Amino acid sequence: MNRRVYLLAFFLTALAAALISIKVIHGGQAVSYTPANHLWRVNMILNVTGQGARAKVRMTLPKKTPRQIIYNEHFEDAQMSFSITDRAVTGNRMGYWRSELLDDTRSIQYSFSTQLTSEEFFIPEDLELPKDPVAFYPQDLQPWLNASELIQSTDPKVKKLLKKIIGKDKKTYLVLRRIFNFIRGEVKYQSEIGSKDAKETLDKLVADCGGQARLFIALSRAAGMPSRMVGGLIMNESVKNITHVWAENYIDGVWVPFDTTNNYFAYIPNHYLELYRGDTALIRYLGLSKLEYLFSIRKEKMPPVDNPWSLYVLPVHFQASVKFLLLIPIGALVVSFFRTIVGVATFGTFAPILLAMAFREISLGMGLLCLGVVIFFGWILRKILDALKILVIPRLSIIVTMVIMFIMVMNVVAFNFGHQNILYITLFPMIIITWTIERLSVIQIEDGTKAAFKAGLGTISVSVAAYYVMGIRELHTYLFAFPELLLVVMALLLLLGRYTGFRLLELWRFREFKKIQRRDIL
Amino acid sequence: MIGFKTVRELGLLGMNRRNAEYLLPRNERKLYPLVDDKLKTKDLLYTHQLPAPELYFVINHNFEVKYLREIKFLKEFVIKPARGAEGRGILVIQGKTGNEWRKASGAALTMDDIEYHVTNILAGLYSLGGTTDIAFIEYCVRSHIVFRPVAYQGVPDMRVILYRGIPMMSMLRLPTRESDGKANLHQGAVGAGIDILSGVTLGGVHHNYLIDRHPDTNVPIGGIRIPFWNEILETAAKVYDVFQLGYFGIDFVIDHLLGPLILELNARPGLNIQLANREGLLPRLREIDALGPGVEELKWERRLEITRKIVGKAGARLTGN
Repeated sequence: MNRRVYLLAFFLTALAAALISIKVIHGGQAVSYTPANHLWRVNMILNVTGQGARAKVRMTLPKKTPRQIIYNEHFEDAQMSFSITDRAVTGNRMGYWRSELLDDTRSIQYSFSTQLTSEEFFIPEDLELPKDPVAFYPQDLQPWLNASELIQSTDPKVKKLLKKIIGKDKKTYLVLRRIFNFIRGEVKYQSEIGSKDAKETLDKLVADCGGQARLFIALSRAAGMPSRMVGGLIMNESVKNITHVWAENYIDGVWVPFDTTNNYFAYIPNHYLELYRGDTALIRYLGLSKLEYLFSIRKEKMPPVDNPWSLYVLPVHFQASVKFLLLIPIGALVVSFFRTIVGVATFGTFAPILLAMAFREISLGMGLLCLGVVIFFGWILRKILDALKILVIPRLSIIVTMVIMFIMVMNVVAFNFGHQNILYITLFPMIIITWTIERLSVIQIEDGTKAAFKAGLGTISVSVAAYYVMGIRELHTYLFAFPELLLVVMALLLLLGRYTGFRLLELWRFREFKKIQRRDIL
Repeated sequence: MIGFKTVRELGLLGMNRRNAEYLLPRNERKLYPLVDDKLKTKDLLYTHQLPAPELYFVINHNFEVKYLREIKFLKEFVIKPARGAEGRGILVIQGKTGNEWRKASGAALTMDDIEYHVTNILAGLYSLGGTTDIAFIEYCVRSHIVFRPVAYQGVPDMRVILYRGIPMMSMLRLPTRESDGKANLHQGAVGAGIDILSGVTLGGVHHNYLIDRHPDTNVPIGGIRIPFWNEILETAAKVYDVFQLGYFGIDFVIDHLLGPLILELNARPGLNIQLANREGLLPRLREIDALGPGVEELKWERRLEITRKIVGKAGARLTGN
């Protein structure tokens, strides 16, 4: 018997290992794993503090391009509604986190892996600038030709400077070279808080990457080239909140990057991650009292596995519920462990898992408080109904109704006292709680208050343990990337199923045998 | 606390081992209903002329609850759920004054209370897994006079555990005030080990604590000679021929008029019997397994002989070192 179980457990583990290795070797949708690959893992953390009103956070997310492959994307929604949309003109990929009421601090996390390649662009020497750019370039490029608030390409001073730099030259390459060299040579780099606009940069001749890029773009536009800003991140193993910007000009049908700050002419290196286009901010928000963000960048160790048959292909709003589902077997594992190895009695097998999941939504303290209050009042109600002699099924239905009514009252009261996160109590497993109330009162009548209290305490401690295990973030990431790990969970459960040793609490139960043993020795 | 090593040396059986090595392989799943459903048990016992308390009538459905009026002619009876778990839902009526009945504890019950209890049973409040259930009313056993000094209300019963048809450990279960007249150890009843060879009680256990005196009456528990002990053991060995469960417990009561009766069978007997007997189950279980296959097919007389042999042997080995 045991051998067959061990064999099956071993087989399941081996199967999981095989499936995972196939997945790793086969690789992701666009990237396949070789140790030499230059792969990065970026974790964006946004700590947002609400002010008790509607809140909205917008962040531009990296897009897949031929030189920039994004894979293994993970979204943690922090109990806010999350959606992704593509902007029309810029093509930026925007992630929106919304909450109707935000009065506490949440940690929004977005992480992804990326493979970046450098790219060099060739600008034909004999290419000339068009005489009438507005007529020459198609409609959708016009926004990149016009002056904007911070890029004053029509300013007389800019135009005068341009004339001075390029003279009568009409060759695109030469014009770009001269603009680039001017900024490289004349504008000094200095990091500052809040970038300068193009005109100010020209006046002061001291700027950070933002000012330099804006001046470059203003001069390019003045010369009749569509030009725009690119925002991004420079990859190195670090934790930082500094982003970088550079410029991008539309030449001969392609967008060619120029970074005056780091001296990349028509070249983008393999540690530049592009995040957004246009003179916009990486993060915008509404209704927040505080927002802090940082990027934690490290070398990626997890292989790319976002192939078409992985969970990554699911739409973002499904991914959250899939992640939740994946945690149920983990919760079941915790419950099985506590019941067979430790020997804790609980109400039902799955009540602790559902409670732990509800606690994950609210918060542990609040969840326990609400649970205690609901069960206490439900139990009093059950006592009253007992005196009225109501049949079981209608009685259970009455208790469910009362539990829900009670939760509504708690919601309204809590709202008026400014505790919004209690609203998530609606996710409480009502039916399970109702059955718990019923079982609790039967045990209390038949086996005494002590037994009821013991079973209740057992249920709560197992739920709390499951709550903490289910909260391990690595577990979320790895289970999502490799749902095959559930086979390993099954193997562990099989082994637990053949554990015939003593339960820890039995050692306590049989403690009086100590006396007998002593008697025997005497 | 007690160490893992000590527990193993004492030969104590734990819950996991009981389930995985004895219950699951030895008890066929399809036989469980015969034991879990007290009505089926009763039926089988009757057909094999094994003694059990007389069944008065059965209530299958809610509309039949009105037949309960019949009980107004009864003074003493017990209402039980057919599939009650852990002794739950058992109502013992021991007398009637006017229109009210009296429980063992002396509490008065009206017709309404009794009907409500029956509807709760029918809805499955007390059953295993909460499925709908059947209620039945049976003869109320009055305890044998021997137990009068130690029994606090209620009726004491004797549990005999059989492994592969061989009775191998037994205990007397005494109701207490705490257990409300019920003989279930986890509800607060006292268990007293019985020397299976002589039928004389040893010390007792109450809530995992070893005791020598009854907590309510303060009378010593040890040294009671169980009447009809040999008859009880014989009946136990015969019951195996009917039910064929590899590991189970039989609960006997001794009625003051009818003698030993089988109250119910239990396919998942508890482990506190070890504390009551101050001895682990494993040495005896291993002695029986050492006899090899075919033990089950022996005649009941032969199996009782094995009981005498292995109990002496396992006991000697335990105290011998």
